[in-house]
Amino acid sequence: MSLNKGVIPAERDDDLFIGWAKAPAIDRRFLFSAAPLLLGATTGLGWLVAKNLSDPGAGKWDTTATHVIEGALSAKPYPMIRVADPSAPFGMRTVLVVAQGKCTSGLDLAAKEGIPVKASGALIERNGRQMLEVPFSLDKWLEPVFIDMPGVVADPPEERLGRFALAGRIMDSKCFFGVMRPGRGKTHKACAALCIRGGVPPSFWARDGKGRESVLLMTDAAGGPLGEDILPLVADPVSADGEIVRVGDLLQFRADADAYRRV
Amino acid sequence: MGVKYQGVQWNGNKVVYDLYMLVALALFMGVFMTIGMTVHPSGHQADAVVLLIRALGCAAFLMLTVVLTIGPLARMNPRFLPFLYNRRHLGVMTFLVAAAHFGLTVLWYHSSGPLNPFVSLLVSNPLYASVEGFPFEAFGLAAFAILFVMAATSHDFWLKTLSASVWKVLHMLVYVAYGLLVLHIAYGALMTEKSAVYVALVIAALAIVAGLHVVTGVREWSRDSGMKGLHAPDGWIDVCAPEDIPDKRAVTAPLPKGDRVAVFRDGAKIYAVENACRHQNGPLGEGCIKDGVITCPWHGWQYRPQDGVSPPPYEERIATHDVRLSSLGRVFVRVKKNPLGKEGAFIDVGGAAS
Ligand code: FES
Repeated sequence: MSLNKGVIPAERDDDLFIGWAKAPAIDRRFLFSAAPLLLGATTGLGWLVAKNLSDPGAGKWDTTATHVIEGALSAKPYPMIRVADPSAPFGMRTVLVVAQGKCTSGLDLAAKEGIPVKASGALIERNGRQMLEVPFSLDKWLEPVFIDMPGVVADPPEERLGRFALAGRIMDSKCFFGVMRPGRGKTHKACAALCIRGGVPPSFWARDGKGRESVLLMTDAAGGPLGEDILPLVADPVSADGEIVRVGDLLQFRADADAYRRV
Repeated sequence: MGVKYQGVQWNGNKVVYDLYMLVALALFMGVFMTIGMTVHPSGHQADAVVLLIRALGCAAFLMLTVVLTIGPLARMNPRFLPFLYNRRHLGVMTFLVAAAHFGLTVLWYHSSGPLNPFVSLLVSNPLYASVEGFPFEAFGLAAFAILFVMAATSHDFWLKTLSASVWKVLHMLVYVAYGLLVLHIAYGALMTEKSAVYVALVIAALAIVAGLHVVTGVREWSRDSGMKGLHAPDGWIDVCAPEDIPDKRAVTAPLPKGDRVAVFRDGAKIYAVENACRHQNGPLGEGCIKDGVITCPWHGWQYRPQDGVSPPPYEERIATHDVRLSSLGRVFVRVKKNPLGKEGAFIDVGGAAS
């Protein structure tokens, strides 16, 4: 048995790197060959990670142009403007209205219920569903106009389509329609909950087995705005039994927060 | 005036390394953003801010992974010592990238809402009691807090002020931070993104970091256990034969209490000192003798082999151990350290033991 067993032999290279001294030739050779390899690996990793990101979905948020619409204002259950459009299904387009940032509930529109207005803001749009982002102070974006609004557009009747069990996710309409792409999934959950807490209308994003999606405006069972008890469920896969009601061109999903179950 | 601590100084090497790291970071971010913005069909473009948040998060995780591999790599192969020498700057840069990720997240996801952004960060996902819904933000925030403390105390001033042992414990928290980051990713990105590539990359990073630490640990342990049985009963241990020590280098041996001793040869003289560098516990025995003084392989702190004192103007001290040549011509080291500053007995193989 050798008594030397286990003794750590020091490296035999005569030069040892010392940070404050000139690097020995062997280290410089190593660094010169390692440098491009490391840069290549870094670039490759950046490519690999970005390449596999999932599709954020359709959606746009145009802050470069001012979008102007004229229609009937309603604050129930959430701020929206109904625009007459003979070429659209049901002869109208409902444009949801949200404030800049995440505090839409600060928009005080109760006094303007039902009146014809001209509104300007940034257009947010996903698959034909439109939303207008506006400043807080009403005089910056809203003015009354005198236009002839057909009664079915200004105050469309409710059409009850029946009760359905839907599976999908609760989204904050603003981010989901295009402000954040992707505006969904667990990494976006907190943001979505904050937006909904701030009064951005929640949307139910339901998808059937064939991948067809429908987006419904969520209200409580009585058709009013949903409260904060919906927040913990935001962004997660859920299902609920509720009533689908068509108001103009917009589908509402009416169910109280306690009707939702995590799946 | 004495110099109380010898901060690792800026020098040309460091500037080159820092530039190199910045180039690597810029490449990563540039490729990530370019691919991220163009990979999906038109009309489905990702939002640049969300992409930037993701790119910064990925970069910080990658950088911390690299930081944690440098230690074991340098133990395995001295060619990695230059990376070790510059590791601290990479660490601070990692913190800055993490800070950008954190700041942008708070700004984009949590500000201008009905809650204080920092409150929102912690309460907007309230599922703390859930196993799979647990808010990943909390993990990220805890990891960031650790990185912050580490970056804030990274200067050698703090090493001196907090004492080496407190500082060392503080900086061992980097492993906790890394674990928290893995959880942050597992509970956030990995639950959001569908591609298995991400799971594979995170597992690979964890495996590399853990694997390297296990390999170096096992190597050290098996070397040490090979030294068992060398302890003489009288408080001396048989370390090796004089020829086993290369000139200007050392062999290290474990001591019964778990410390190590480094036995250096400088020409015909053989000296023994404790193995742990005063700076950050660097393995002095893996260093060398340069210009007559023991030089730490990590950041180049120096100690005279005779008495373990740093050459002026510095005042750092490590303990020496006495050495003697046995009747069979073996190098024996006394287990008990000498008091700091005391010259140790040395061997002169050119002549007789002192
Ligand atoms: S010089 Fe930093 S650990 Fe020795």
